[in-house]
Amino acid sequence: MLFMRWASTEKRLAVYDPFDSLPKKTKKSYLEAIKIFEGQDTRRRGHVEFIYAALAKMQEFGVQKDLEVYKALVDVLPKGKFIPQNIFQAEFMHYPKQQQCAVDLLEQMEDNKVMPDSEMEQMLLNVFGKRGIPLRKFWRIMYWMPKFKNLSPWFLPDSLPADTLELATLAIQRITSVDPDTKISIWQTEEIEACLDKTWVVSAQSEAQHVLLSEQPDEEPLVVKGPFDVYLRDQVVSYFMLIGKTRPEFKDNTDDDDVSNIEKPPGIPGVIGTPKLPAVRHTTVHEQDNGTIVAICATGTSSRDSLLSWIRLLEKYDNPVLRNIPVIFTLTSPSNDIAVQETQPATEGNKTEKKNTSL
Amino acid sequence: MNVVRKFCTVPHSYVSRNLYRKFRFSAVNYDSTAASQPQVQEEKYDFEDLNVIERTERRKAKIEPFMKNIFVSVFDRELLAYPEIINKEENENLEQRLTAIDSVFSDSKKTADDKRNILKSTKMYAAPVSWTRNGLSANNTESLMYLDAIAQDFQLAQELSDHWVGLQALQNGLTHDQYSMIIDDLISGDNTIALAIKERVAERITQSDFRTEAEMDGQGIWHISGEKICNHNDGYILVLCAIEASRLMAFLVHPRAQGVTTKGPFVNFMKTPATPLDQIPESALAQILGVSRLHAATLCRSRLKAAVHAVVEYTRPRVFVGKPLAELSTIRSTIGEALLDIYASESAEFFTAGLLDGYVEPDAELEMAMCRNFMANHGLRSMMKLLAIPELDKEEECKKLLNDMRHLALRGESLDSVNMFISLNGIHHAGKMMSQEVKQMRNPLMNPTFIIKKVIANRHQEKDNPKLTLYLAEHLHPSLKPPSEQLEYCVLRMRFACETLMARHGVKVNTAYTELNRLAEAATEILAMTSVLARASRSYCIGLRNAEMEMKLAACFVEKTRDHVKKLIREIDDGEYLNLDHFTVQFGRKVLDTNTLLVEKPIARTFW
Repeated sequence: MLFMRWASTEKRLAVYDPFDSLPKKTKKSYLEAIKIFEGQDTRRRGHVEFIYAALAKMQEFGVQKDLEVYKALVDVLPKGKFIPQNIFQAEFMHYPKQQQCAVDLLEQMEDNKVMPDSEMEQMLLNVFGKRGIPLRKFWRIMYWMPKFKNLSPWFLPDSLPADTLELATLAIQRITSVDPDTKISIWQTEEIEACLDKTWVVSAQSEAQHVLLSEQPDEEPLVVKGPFDVYLRDQVVSYFMLIGKTRPEFKDNTDDDDVSNIEKPPGIPGVIGTPKLPAVRHTTVHEQDNGTIVAICATGTSSRDSLLSWIRLLEKYDNPVLRNIPVIFTLTSPSNDIAVQETQPATEGNKTEKKNTSL
Repeated sequence: MNVVRKFCTVPHSYVSRNLYRKFRFSAVNYDSTAASQPQVQEEKYDFEDLNVIERTERRKAKIEPFMKNIFVSVFDRELLAYPEIINKEENENLEQRLTAIDSVFSDSKKTADDKRNILKSTKMYAAPVSWTRNGLSANNTESLMYLDAIAQDFQLAQELSDHWVGLQALQNGLTHDQYSMIIDDLISGDNTIALAIKERVAERITQSDFRTEAEMDGQGIWHISGEKICNHNDGYILVLCAIEASRLMAFLVHPRAQGVTTKGPFVNFMKTPATPLDQIPESALAQILGVSRLHAATLCRSRLKAAVHAVVEYTRPRVFVGKPLAELSTIRSTIGEALLDIYASESAEFFTAGLLDGYVEPDAELEMAMCRNFMANHGLRSMMKLLAIPELDKEEECKKLLNDMRHLALRGESLDSVNMFISLNGIHHAGKMMSQEVKQMRNPLMNPTFIIKKVIANRHQEKDNPKLTLYLAEHLHPSLKPPSEQLEYCVLRMRFACETLMARHGVKVNTAYTELNRLAEAATEILAMTSVLARASRSYCIGLRNAEMEMKLAACFVEKTRDHVKKLIREIDDGEYLNLDHFTVQFGRKVLDTNTLLVEKPIARTFW
């Protein structure tokens, strides 16, 4: 009975979303929608709801990384009204809903790694005054975000390239930065006649890897392993490794503590080093527990065929030893179906070589 | 009975000895000053050729290597008597030749041909060749004197230095017949010997550092192929090659041999036939070729001398604020510092030459390398300061002087590689003597009593205040006591530095390059200090002209250098984190990896 009292009350509400009706979802139309809202009503009724709705739609319009948009949203809040006038107001959270809304807005900015600027601080000051919670949130953000911004040793441009080839090059540069000597080559699989997948290959091999590959025993097969993922911000690039056998560990039986016969140079003026051929005895960074990484690549399709082409291309470009050594493909899943099919030519002809300049 | 003797007398004599020392009853040690007494000289004749008597060799008995022993803080005090190699008769001949050379070389009007002619007439091209072969049989001291005079012509002096070293190598390396066949051509002065030792740095990791190779063909003729860096002028070339993939051997390439092409400073050999110097082992070759380092020091010094003269000539007639420019104390002190460097280097060079000439089987390769490094290091710095005085007025002359100096300082090898040679040899020597101790220090838990003893024994060293137990002042003029104590301090710190390094790195000490560099520099300075003190003391005692000036120079130099050595050794003791090596090495690595300057511009921002 008690509930019947409300039974007839219809609570259905027709929600009007100003963003839904827009024909084009771009930054321009998004800003226009905000302008329209600001113009509708001098008192700006429902601005909190509007801001929440606008925050939720950001992804859709692709503006979640844009500081200007966030500023436009803060601008929706009326100036002066929310500034506490006495200590009680200041202490007991003046206009809590509005303050919470502004904090959520800042939080979304933070999640999207958008760095606010000092103009934003000024706007928030104008809206909430210097004792507002959003201001405190802002100051905390500005303490931490600049510190984290450039903490990664692998530099990336502010906006990642849209081109997958460039993205793959960046990813391979990042992985191979362990050996600054690495050469990155961009090849086209078309160069190999038998190939089915016409795509690009970003391949990286350093001088040390080249030597390690040439020293691989003929009878032991090499293994192509992958795909492994490397993340560039929110983008994923799959890469593959060509893995060979690790050399037997060099056993150094000399006693570290015995200094009775320390090696000394020959002493002929002008002679440095030795006339002997250098024996690469100490392990390089490429020699890991599970094998020696002799080359690394990312291809346009990540398909088995493109990897086969990669091996043939490696062989063609200065690794003749691959002609004799069998290669086993142990791909965890044939990623042919998942990967985006893309066949675009490399920008600079058939073969471009780039020196690794990451870091 | 014997036991009693041992217990009673030995400590007693030890105590009394030290007691006397403390109270300066220095007559007790009269026996140790024998070094400065005249020596009974033995005359040796070459009986193979009785018609012409070969030059007499007056060498003292073999001594322990001097600078190598410094690495373990053992100081041969006999050597504080500055070596006197040349006797009266030899000196007269030497002076005669020097006057002849100097009269031509100091005259700016004489042409290059005049200079060559005077060199030929004074038998300079045959200086190290024995009397029986129509040479001068000049020893190292004399060679340095000649080179000093000739060094006024930079090119000629360099050529001659290579020639002398080459002759020395041929004399030891060729068979008697081979040597006889070419010696007349060699000493005529028309074809000099150039040294071709250095190569380009390898460009691939599979390339060896030394790539010029020699192979013997079916008829027993050696052919060499490869590329060398060499100042070549159509004469003979002494080429160092690798044979059998691991050994080094020198080869003589005759003038106009086939397959030799010159391109700038590089000389290419394509299957060039050559005569092997197979009579000489690698180590002996290193000794002989090492003399070129000593010559490099002399040449460097002569360049600095030339710069001083140029600056004086510039300064004397000029005026600044109504006063002579020469009254400016900054200019005076710059020139004074240059003089200190010249004085120290000169002392070290002749000291080393004395070691080489005065003893049987001398082991002075380290000293020679040190002379070179001392002068190259200080000379470049002094030169930069000196040449700042004439500023832009004499730009061309300054450029030439500076370029010559740079060329000499890097003559065939860099400062660092020579430093490595010095310190690795030193530490090799120290390692042999201290291996047992280092082993114990590296395994402290196995040797607790030793460690406690070591801590107690090293307590003065840790405080950077070692007990002075070498009593060097006893062998010098009494007024040099304070400087000699400073030298003593430096010497005593060396063993501690070596000990620290070896205890820290063990056998891998040969890769601690930055610290070894410091060690080498410290040792180099010690050689300079020793020789300066010995020279000043000698000059003052025998009453040379301006000897009191020398005493001041010596005291100043030692005082200044002591601080430098103190700093170097303290940095070794501090280790890579306190002396900041760890960080500078890392910065360098990053710059090398990225070839950028790493840091953002000072006005860059992360937000606005």
